[in-house]
Amino acid sequence: MLGLDSFNIDSVVIHTISIFFSGVCLQSPCSLLFEPVTLQPCLPSEFDVVILGTGLAESVVAAAFSRVGQRVLHVDRRSYYAANWASFTFNGLLTWIQQHHEESQPEEAQDWSSLLEEGEELIYLSNSKSESDSISNVQVFSFTSEEEEEEEAPSPDPPSIAEEQTGGAEEDAVKENSETESADSKEDDTKEKSEATADGDDEEQASQTEGEEPEADQPTTSAAQSQSEPIKKKISYPQLLKEGRRFNIDLVSKLMYSRGSLVDLLIKSNVSRYAEFKNVTRILTYRHGKVQQVPCSRADVFASRQLSVVEKRKLMRFLTSCMEETEEQQAYNGRPYLEFLCDQQLGDNLQDFLLHSIAMVTEDTPTEEGLTSTRHFLRCLGRYGNTPFLFPVYGLGEIPQCFCRMCAVFGGIYCLRHSVNCLVMDKETNRCKAVIDSRGQRISCSHFVVEEGYVGADRKQMATPTRSLSRAVLITDGSILPSDSDQQVSMVTVPPIAAGCPAVKMVELCSSTMTCMPGTYLVHLTCQSVGSAYEDLSPVVTRMFHTPESHDQENCPSVLWCLYFNMADGSGLEAEGHNLPSNVYMCSGPDGGLGHEHAIKQAESIFQKILPEEDFCPPAPNPEDIIYDGDNTSSAMGGEEEEKEETEDKQEKEEKEDKQEEKEETEDKQEEEEKDGAGEMEKEEEQTLQTEE
Amino acid sequence: MSMEDYDYLFKIVLIGNAGVGKTCLVRRFTQGLFPPGQGATIGVDFMIKTVEIKGEKVKLQIWDTAGQERFRSITQSYYRSANALILTYDITCEDSFRCLPEWLREIEQYANNQVVTILVGNKIDLAEKREVLRQRAEDFAEAQSMLYLETSAKESDNVEKLFLDLACELIREAKQNKLDNNDTAPMPGEGKTISYLSCCSLN
Ligand SMILES: Cc1cc2nc3c(=O)[nH]c(=O)nc-3n(C[C@H](O)[C@H](O)[C@H](O)COP(=O)(O)OP(=O)(O)OC[C@H]3O[C@@H](n4cnc5c(N)ncnc54)[C@H](O)[C@@H]3O)c2cc1C
Ligand SMILES: Nc1nc2c(ncn2[C@@H]2O[C@H](COP(=O)(O)OP(=O)(O)O)[C@@H](O)[C@H]2O)c(=O)[nH]1
Ligand SMILES: [Mg+2]
Repeated sequence: MLGLDSFNIDSVVIHTISIFFSGVCLQSPCSLLFEPVTLQPCLPSEFDVVILGTGLAESVVAAAFSRVGQRVLHVDRRSYYAANWASFTFNGLLTWIQQHHEESQPEEAQDWSSLLEEGEELIYLSNSKSESDSISNVQVFSFTSEEEEEEEAPSPDPPSIAEEQTGGAEEDAVKENSETESADSKEDDTKEKSEATADGDDEEQASQTEGEEPEADQPTTSAAQSQSEPIKKKISYPQLLKEGRRFNIDLVSKLMYSRGSLVDLLIKSNVSRYAEFKNVTRILTYRHGKVQQVPCSRADVFASRQLSVVEKRKLMRFLTSCMEETEEQQAYNGRPYLEFLCDQQLGDNLQDFLLHSIAMVTEDTPTEEGLTSTRHFLRCLGRYGNTPFLFPVYGLGEIPQCFCRMCAVFGGIYCLRHSVNCLVMDKETNRCKAVIDSRGQRISCSHFVVEEGYVGADRKQMATPTRSLSRAVLITDGSILPSDSDQQVSMVTVPPIAAGCPAVKMVELCSSTMTCMPGTYLVHLTCQSVGSAYEDLSPVVTRMFHTPESHDQENCPSVLWCLYFNMADGSGLEAEGHNLPSNVYMCSGPDGGLGHEHAIKQAESIFQKILPEEDFCPPAPNPEDIIYDGDNTSSAMGGEEEEKEETEDKQEKEEKEDKQEEKEETEDKQEEEEKDGAGEMEKEEEQTLQTEE
Repeated sequence: MSMEDYDYLFKIVLIGNAGVGKTCLVRRFTQGLFPPGQGATIGVDFMIKTVEIKGEKVKLQIWDTAGQERFRSITQSYYRSANALILTYDITCEDSFRCLPEWLREIEQYANNQVVTILVGNKIDLAEKREVLRQRAEDFAEAQSMLYLETSAKESDNVEKLFLDLACELIREAKQNKLDNNDTAPMPGEGKTISYLSCCSLN
């Protein structure tokens, strides 16, 4: 219901820009601090490290440098943190979509050569729309009604024309340039309604337009309402907008392995104190047209009703035996994991679970690789819950921001809506001496770290053929596998639905993860691109969910709104061979892996190249230990105090280590016990979790 | 985790333009000193002070902006799970007052719905340089249903009162919430604050 004024496209574009620089447009001229023009005199002109882009790897690098006393300037051209790792409110996402439908304006290359000294040369970065290369094929479909609080009779024969039309009326996609899909043809008549509410401005809009709220609220079709059949309340599009801030929709979909490098780093550095996490509560898979739970912990195996007693025994034996390397396994090196599994005589059921849901590999993945990921999965079980995964409350976009906060706490300077236009290169040494920022200020630095999107294709070494990810984001009205609790967080593996189709990873988030409004679920689908995101993923969506295109899916959750797009696969960026000065380091965007290992490794390797002697993200002191009791008079943070703090810190660390050891011990014990009896194990697990809470 | 030594734990977050005296307010309250012209303390994430209110121990965890407000680049995660927000402006600086709506918009986007917000006009020791009349600020605060207080970090005027008032208000809300939430479990996540409170107040 927020501001569904009939903006036309042009005014929306202007609108968007005004949000982008909201500080400039909304502030009085004398409001100095908010005006980018006046940022220039505020920025120091010398740093140790300048970092452009606030994606995960860049943010970790920023925190790591700042933590060991390096002077860090961290900037991003965008108005939000986390680049292609960002999460958006619903309205924020609409703005993002809008931006990706705009044609990128040709960049006017300013001539900064006047700032050069003898023997220097400029390298221009690409700034106009750095992500336009990385994001493509953006398509949006809305299947909600435009009426608020509409009570809709379940339509017996989907896709009914009425539904399609109502859906179309709220279509968000704005202008597709070369689309042929029939679904897109309905966009034209609905353009006006599209991005009326855009990020940040909606509250303001709302307060201004609330009383005079125009056509959006007026029923356009009232036929459905007069029916007196059993009615199910459907969430309307205006409701999605109104509750927009309850959504935190990630551009990437990943999970955190509970013993993965990200969790280890969060704990080691104490960055974990800035966020909260939830367990993924179950692993599901899609087999024979049905969603099934994958038994993965030993407790699950024994509780499973799908498995026969024989299967249970076989699975337990397999899971226990695969933790150690055996000669038998080695004999399969180089041969497909599937072959190895086949020869274990596990049967189709178990084989599928193990291949697709536990190892999460494909049919032709070599055995050694399959075993490695099976072991990783098993090692991660039971640390925080009975699946190997955690998910950050408020979405993955929080993680880079947490590292940025750490950087800032240690003195790093942050500037969004600010960029670096070019590098000043010393011709003789082939090193970057300084950067010239978007305000034309020359800032000298010893090292420059940059997100790959800012570097022109001619200077990058990319893997061929280019890799891309297909993504879909759905807002649905129910879980794909309803259970006792409506607050499940599910990881779903969908094996290729036909030969040549990609395997799809799906994550279903419930509202308690603070990523979607109550009564809805947020579903992320990801796969390696074969075709466009729509081509790759819509067959899975229509099979597993109820949409106007699906047939006899009455029992499946309905899709209220969905977005498809392709994103460049960050793993396509080669580690070496770029045509850049020797002290310039590139970070790739999100990769297709389920975990975060790629970005964390990249960040660590950049840090170690520059400061090989220094510790990577040592623990930040715990503020809990710096307690002032008001009696302090003189400088509390003076030398003395600091020393005290340090010793306290050390003490605390030691204590922690002790604790950790203890914990590990108990964990080991736990593992042993796990091997013995599963029923007991389940109890034990529950206990640990409870105490943790 | 030593949760035995307090009845309540609250996270309080400061925001407002750079230079209005946020860091000084925190330091004055937690350390009892006014260090002129010093920036943020490197490496200190938040400060802790435990106060006693009507026989109950209240632990206040006070978070500062880490300088990210300077270029309007505060991370969203900074606002999450705050129980209270201290929105600060400088009474001798009209601009800092005019930016308040901007800050309120950020609060509305990213902070918890139930967050307690208090508007603070700082530097009242500089009365002769006042640019924002008290009445104007009071009206604004009332319109936005915020509490309002004027302080001087330098002279220690109202600083103690600011934090103690907040603590009282937070306790009141916590008790209220506990009543409201007696039969329905708090929403996880959003309820972190609530579960925090109810678990602590059992002690
Ligand atoms: C990344 C991570 C995820 C966690 N997820 C869960 C979970 O899903 N369910 C659960 O019951 N417990 C979770 N915890 C809490 C954790 O299992 C126990 O609190 C901790 O193991 C207790 O041991 P300790 O006293 O040695 O650690 P502490 O010294 O209490 O904490 C160790 C580190 O963990 C962080 N931490 C503690 N609790 C959490 C939390 N809930 N979320 C994020 N960081 C936290 C702390 O800030 C610190 O950096 C998580 C902890 C971490 C680090
Ligand atoms: N006269 C006066 N100066 C203050 C007061 N509080 C802060 N200042 C000064 O204002 C400047 C900015 O303070 P600081 O706490 O760093 O502001 P912050 O950027 O909001 O954290 C410093 O020079 C302080 O000395 C006050 O109450 N009275
Ligand atoms: Mg400060």
